[in-house]
Amino acid sequence: MGVPTVSMVTMAFDELATSTAFKKGMPGLRVTMTPHPITGRTTEESNAYLQGNDPVSGKPMLEQIVAGLRDKLAAQDKHAGVIERGERPRFLPPDTEDNLQQMFHDHLWTDGLPIIMPTEERVQAMLKGTSHAPDEIVGEMRPSGPHEAWKFTVEMVATNAVMAGAKPEYLPVLLAIAATGQTSLFSSTSSFARMAVVNGPIRDEIQMNSSIGALGPFNQANAAIGRAWTLISKNLGGSGLPGSTYLGSTGNPLNYGNMTFPEAEENLPEGWEPLHVQKGFKKDESVVSIFSGWSFNTIAWFSPLPLQDVIKNWLTHFFSFGVGSATIIVDPIVAVELKNNGFATKQQFADYLIEKSANPGWLYWSTHQDEYKKAKEGVEPFATYLKLGETAEIPVTRYVRMPPRGAPAGTPPRNPIEVLAVGGGTNLYWSGGDFSHVVSTSIDKWR
Amino acid sequence: MKSGNLWLVNAVMFISALLAGTVTAAPNDKITVLNPRGIMPAIQQIPMAERPGSLDGKTIYIVDTKFANTKLFVNAVRDNLAAAYPKTTWIGIDKIGGYMQDDPALWAEIKAKGHGAIVLLGH
Repeated sequence: MGVPTVSMVTMAFDELATSTAFKKGMPGLRVTMTPHPITGRTTEESNAYLQGNDPVSGKPMLEQIVAGLRDKLAAQDKHAGVIERGERPRFLPPDTEDNLQQMFHDHLWTDGLPIIMPTEERVQAMLKGTSHAPDEIVGEMRPSGPHEAWKFTVEMVATNAVMAGAKPEYLPVLLAIAATGQTSLFSSTSSFARMAVVNGPIRDEIQMNSSIGALGPFNQANAAIGRAWTLISKNLGGSGLPGSTYLGSTGNPLNYGNMTFPEAEENLPEGWEPLHVQKGFKKDESVVSIFSGWSFNTIAWFSPLPLQDVIKNWLTHFFSFGVGSATIIVDPIVAVELKNNGFATKQQFADYLIEKSANPGWLYWSTHQDEYKKAKEGVEPFATYLKLGETAEIPVTRYVRMPPRGAPAGTPPRNPIEVLAVGGGTNLYWSGGDFSHVVSTSIDKWR
Repeated sequence: MKSGNLWLVNAVMFISALLAGTVTAAPNDKITVLNPRGIMPAIQQIPMAERPGSLDGKTIYIVDTKFANTKLFVNAVRDNLAAAYPKTTWIGIDKIGGYMQDDPALWAEIKAKGHGAIVLLGH
């Protein structure tokens, strides 16, 4: 910015503020901490905070802010050089397997469960799963937008694949996921989850499970690929250090396996395209698609209403952190029923949900406060909506086609509702959650 | 069993195990493993802006990054500073978007019209 600046940060983010200032090249950044949280504090409570001390430094808060803007700098605050991060050794110092297991856990290089030791022999065997050179740079990954990005090679991905229990034939899927740069441990206080959906011939080649229990712990490929993505995110993407590069307040159990599964393409009804074809790939290409969200519900609800309206009404009242996007995962026999109910394609069904779902009043008014004021002033159609009652359904969808938040200008609008098929047909089950499609990418180029 | 036969059986078992790839390190044997970590970037240090020595007569922007339901606190920052340091002008202003969105126009305005900034972050 080029002018004296002080950051005021709530004390829950002390470590984040300090480490970010260092990584951004301004280790001496003047930071004043406030008590946490500041959300919802009254003016009186805020005054008490501000007239007290910085809870970390112990100094009077206002004086510290002013001193940070006013007082002359130390010599080290004016440096413009480069801070190197030190040589990255290819091997770790030799030790016993037990000691290494514990060291990996202590450094938070695992998901808390035992790992397979990435010996050179195992990593060499893993590398047979791709034609790419071990030292080829695959890409870069960061915990979230403001964080620094780490780079990584094919061998580094293979090392983490070994740790997760993957087989060499899974490696192209992992390289494709890693090359997207999408961390599975997106750093936000809201505890994101991620999902990886595999389409195309590789599903059968590596024996993934798209049938009974596909989303559960019943298949080596589904499980190991999902687990490896988390290890890659931690170790190659710089994610996962609580308080610094991971801020999810409660954490998310979906991060263990990242909902990794193949779509049940063979059992889709005629006319329902698999996801990768919907995204512009050929049917015989192998593709992995990344989704981002927070939560999922599993549902089978028998109603006099047709299935599409049960799902539509559920979407109206479903509430989680992501209020503007959804992914519906249907068992293939549900897909067949929907087809028989008149939805010739997946997209037709998605469009029906987008257009017909409504908003519960309490949610609509809390996310449309300007419209609430207009409703109170008698402006239509909001006044009519309000006359329905503050908790009545408002006939306005919250699933709107728009570019992803923060996307560059010209980015096409995303589909706010996606439909996927997976499951073994043991009942008319479907799942729904707040996941949105992020990217689909070729696996074949990493073979 | 004769000792010669026992040696032969042990040798066959050992070779079989080798072929099967099942020989693992004994608990106290040291092994070497690859480093699982990626490549961290070098850090380009940015010199901090010179401080003026006094804020009297200066204008300081208080930038609200708009974390939900924190407006009363942000306003209190402005009001408490104005009360404690009345010779300085304290201007509260919202940046566009959320905390991850850049706002070059605002940074340019602050550089042109102001002498410093306070940026608030957190819930």
